[in-house]
Amino acid sequence: MLGLDSFNIDSVVIHTISIFFSGVCLQSPCSLLFEPVTLQPCLPSEFDVVILGTGLAESVVAAAFSRVGQRVLHVDRRSYYAANWASFTFNGLLTWIQQHHEESQPEEAQDWSSLLEEGEELIYLSNSKSESDSISNVQVFSFTSEEEEEEEAPSPDPPSIAEEQTGGAEEDAVKENSETESADSKEDDTKEKSEATADGDDEEQASQTEGEEPEADQPTTSAAQSQSEPIKKKISYPQLLKEGRRFNIDLVSKLMYSRGSLVDLLIKSNVSRYAEFKNVTRILTYRHGKVQQVPCSRADVFASRQLSVVEKRKLMRFLTSCMEETEEQQAYNGRPYLEFLCDQQLGDNLQDFLLHSIAMVTEDTPTEEGLTSTRHFLRCLGRYGNTPFLFPVYGLGEIPQCFCRMCAVFGGIYCLRHSVNCLVMDKETNRCKAVIDSRGQRISCSHFVVEEGYVGADRKQMATPTRSLSRAVLITDGSILPSDSDQQVSMVTVPPIAAGCPAVKMVELCSSTMTCMPGTYLVHLTCQSVGSAYEDLSPVVTRMFHTPESHDQENCPSVLWCLYFNMADGSGLEAEGHNLPSNVYMCSGPDGGLGHEHAIKQAESIFQKILPEEDFCPPAPNPEDIIYDGDNTSSAMGGEEEEKEETEDKQEKEEKEDKQEEKEETEDKQEEEEKDGAGEMEKEEEQTLQTEE
Amino acid sequence: MAIRELKVCLLGDTGVGKSSIVCRFVQDHFDHNISPTIGASFLTKTVPSGNELHKFLIWDTAGQERFHSLAPMYYRGSAAAVIVYDITKLDSFQTLKKWVKELKEHGPEDIVVAIAGNKNDLGDIREVPMKEAKEFAESIAAIFIETSARNAVNVEELFQKISKQIPPLENPEVDSNDSFKLTRQPAPSTRRCC
Ligand SMILES: Cc1cc2nc3c(=O)[nH]c(=O)nc-3n(C[C@H](O)[C@H](O)[C@H](O)COP(=O)(O)OP(=O)(O)OC[C@H]3O[C@@H](n4cnc5c(N)ncnc54)[C@H](O)[C@@H]3O)c2cc1C
Ligand SMILES: Nc1nc2c(ncn2[C@@H]2O[C@H](COP(=O)(O)OP(=O)(O)OP(=O)(O)O)[C@@H](O)[C@H]2O)c(=O)[nH]1
Ligand SMILES: [Mg+2]
Repeated sequence: MLGLDSFNIDSVVIHTISIFFSGVCLQSPCSLLFEPVTLQPCLPSEFDVVILGTGLAESVVAAAFSRVGQRVLHVDRRSYYAANWASFTFNGLLTWIQQHHEESQPEEAQDWSSLLEEGEELIYLSNSKSESDSISNVQVFSFTSEEEEEEEAPSPDPPSIAEEQTGGAEEDAVKENSETESADSKEDDTKEKSEATADGDDEEQASQTEGEEPEADQPTTSAAQSQSEPIKKKISYPQLLKEGRRFNIDLVSKLMYSRGSLVDLLIKSNVSRYAEFKNVTRILTYRHGKVQQVPCSRADVFASRQLSVVEKRKLMRFLTSCMEETEEQQAYNGRPYLEFLCDQQLGDNLQDFLLHSIAMVTEDTPTEEGLTSTRHFLRCLGRYGNTPFLFPVYGLGEIPQCFCRMCAVFGGIYCLRHSVNCLVMDKETNRCKAVIDSRGQRISCSHFVVEEGYVGADRKQMATPTRSLSRAVLITDGSILPSDSDQQVSMVTVPPIAAGCPAVKMVELCSSTMTCMPGTYLVHLTCQSVGSAYEDLSPVVTRMFHTPESHDQENCPSVLWCLYFNMADGSGLEAEGHNLPSNVYMCSGPDGGLGHEHAIKQAESIFQKILPEEDFCPPAPNPEDIIYDGDNTSSAMGGEEEEKEETEDKQEKEEKEDKQEEKEETEDKQEEEEKDGAGEMEKEEEQTLQTEE
Repeated sequence: MAIRELKVCLLGDTGVGKSSIVCRFVQDHFDHNISPTIGASFLTKTVPSGNELHKFLIWDTAGQERFHSLAPMYYRGSAAAVIVYDITKLDSFQTLKKWVKELKEHGPEDIVVAIAGNKNDLGDIREVPMKEAKEFAESIAAIFIETSARNAVNVEELFQKISKQIPPLENPEVDSNDSFKLTRQPAPSTRRCC
């Protein structure tokens, strides 16, 4: 019924198996069983660095090494790039889901000792379990109709509930999710769930009414009503499948801080030219049962209809003053940021905005940490847009691929569906001399970098207790806060809806981010796990969206399809102390932070441990800068092609501009800019405040 | 004249002459011992087309196709794809058909596809009849041309044909998409006055 043919399965991967070996990949799109018949030339048998896993940190490491002339072999057991950072088409995601319900085949422990020399020892890596270790509690729900709707037949009924038959995925989900109820049939299961949630809901709603709304006029409600008047065409399940390639659904949900380390690195290295970005256009929050826009820029503050004039003044003054470190602030070190905010006499409204949406911390976060994140947020405003955040067109899964391309452009060799089975360790030096790949080839290397999932738990040093992230992905039919434009990209902070519940970060993407089909929105929810993803996040989904389990939510967007899963939190991995050879470096999977600082920092530190003298990701030459004239060739490009004539005046001009920009960059421009930005803001605000007074 | 940047990606078996075609087009140069592609992210060349200038950003595979590991981001947002085969290698023509299918399945929807039968200077050891290739191209509404990067035959023409097939921008004022590239300078729109 799903038409899971071989092409759907591999929609993530580019040409590869879907094309070349479609017959095989149908059964095992991502398994080691898959042996390409004609894997073309044999791999070289010597590299400087072998990297296993194509997640963000590994890919940045690969680009960095290749860029400075190291010979890099980069492989991944999977059939797609980016590991747990990947994005999938709708059909690709269904396949991914299916894979997480399949029993992983026991690894046949092959004996490679024949490839060993005197004084060497084998360390086996784990190849089949890695994903099931990091992903758990996968659950899928579909609330679309199975049939293609007739176009002109609008019906007032809510979308019919159709339990998903994702090739048995749903049944498996129920089976796997043993922590929740065990049910004989799927239908019973759904009913039970909806009842359970309904009960909880009533209680929570009752408590909600206690909190009072500061201002009556809510632009939200009127907008929502006017939007819902034109009768929406319901999107059916077959339509989702048919338009499946328009989705690029990320496994992780993060945003890029406009002055964060990822953006800086993309720009510094010129990897940025491989991708395009969009601004996150607004910051929203969920308070007192309503979605509200958070005023964060000066323009927003003045435009805000939720804030009183007094509040506006207080907010501006606070935002201006917190940029500077003061003795007053230091007095709060170690005490909760909430306490500090309270003592600023800002009022509940502003306090909530500042704590949950601007600092994005919890009530017990220490003041110094709260202030640091508040400052980071403010510094990132206005570099590209009115919020601090950017999002890559086609999804976050593009970013690791961009770094991989940079690596390949400088000679790195790429091999998906290929792994490293074991390391060859020199007993005397405790160093990894070589690896043995999944085809039994011995490849020598000076350094080995590996995604943590490939390393058995017995050799890893993990923070205890192991942390995990709860994730939900929703496809919805409308925005949670309709506005003039239907192409908003929104960051939504959802404070804990009850004591003991986690704070949820939500990102709503519109179709122009190329992550979902027109007429739909892709909503990502993330939080630190307390229970399973479903337990943590479905209460939020039920309140903010219309699902068969929700009540009185007619004005909310409907959930067409949703997925819950837990993913191991990569920040739990210790940097040092693993039981591994000294020249083996481990990269962690995605962490729970909103930005990418963790992965980028990790990549940079690995690079600097190995090559402390070398520049980390220096800019690749611009296409227009590459002038091939004999001698210069090698310096610009690692030397191959020949002379290039300047074809046009235009190009020459551009080139000069680029060069100038580069020069500026080298002189600590970054820092200056930052200061400037902050200064500018302060100045403006000062001025504003004066006028006001 | 308005300059329009157009991403063009090259696909095809290793060794069919993808890099040689770009090298010929951009630099009017041919090297017998061209090393497998490294070092160039993409090369650019601007050509006039109607009342526009088309600045081709020509992406080479960077060798990722060699082990069937081309990243999907490679053909994101491509206006055109040039699929190259070697007229002296039947295999490379078989692979081409798979590339076409791949593009139809996963490439941008309105991508212009051009098929280039390269090395047509080696007519005496030809394995792929021109007629067969041409008919195949017609069946999928693709541009077809036989080229020789070595003798500079039809390389310019290949890109001219592509240029002609690119529909002119309907409304140059409205940039359909407000996505942007990250550059060393902040995006102009963010510069605040005062
Ligand atoms: C309720 C309210 C309270 C205000 N309080 C103050 C105040 O206490 N002190 C003060 O200096 N200014 C206040 N303003 C705005 C004021 O009228 C000036 O426009 C402001 O100083 C901007 O100056 P500018 O020339 O830099 O504007 P611009 O740079 O042209 O505007 C900056 C941004 O501010 C927003 N903005 C500007 N004027 C208004 C406006 N009248 N209503 C809503 N949004 C606007 C716009 O969204 C614009 O994008 C307030 C506006 C409102 C609606
Ligand atoms: N006779 C002849 N040889 C050509 C022609 N074009 C390319 N070649 C030769 O074919 C070989 C491969 O050319 P490349 O341009 O490197 O091929 P490629 O498709 O870029 O290969 P990869 O980068 O490995 O994917 C080189 O030795 C070229 O000299 C042509 O038109 N005629
Ligand atoms: Mg090449």
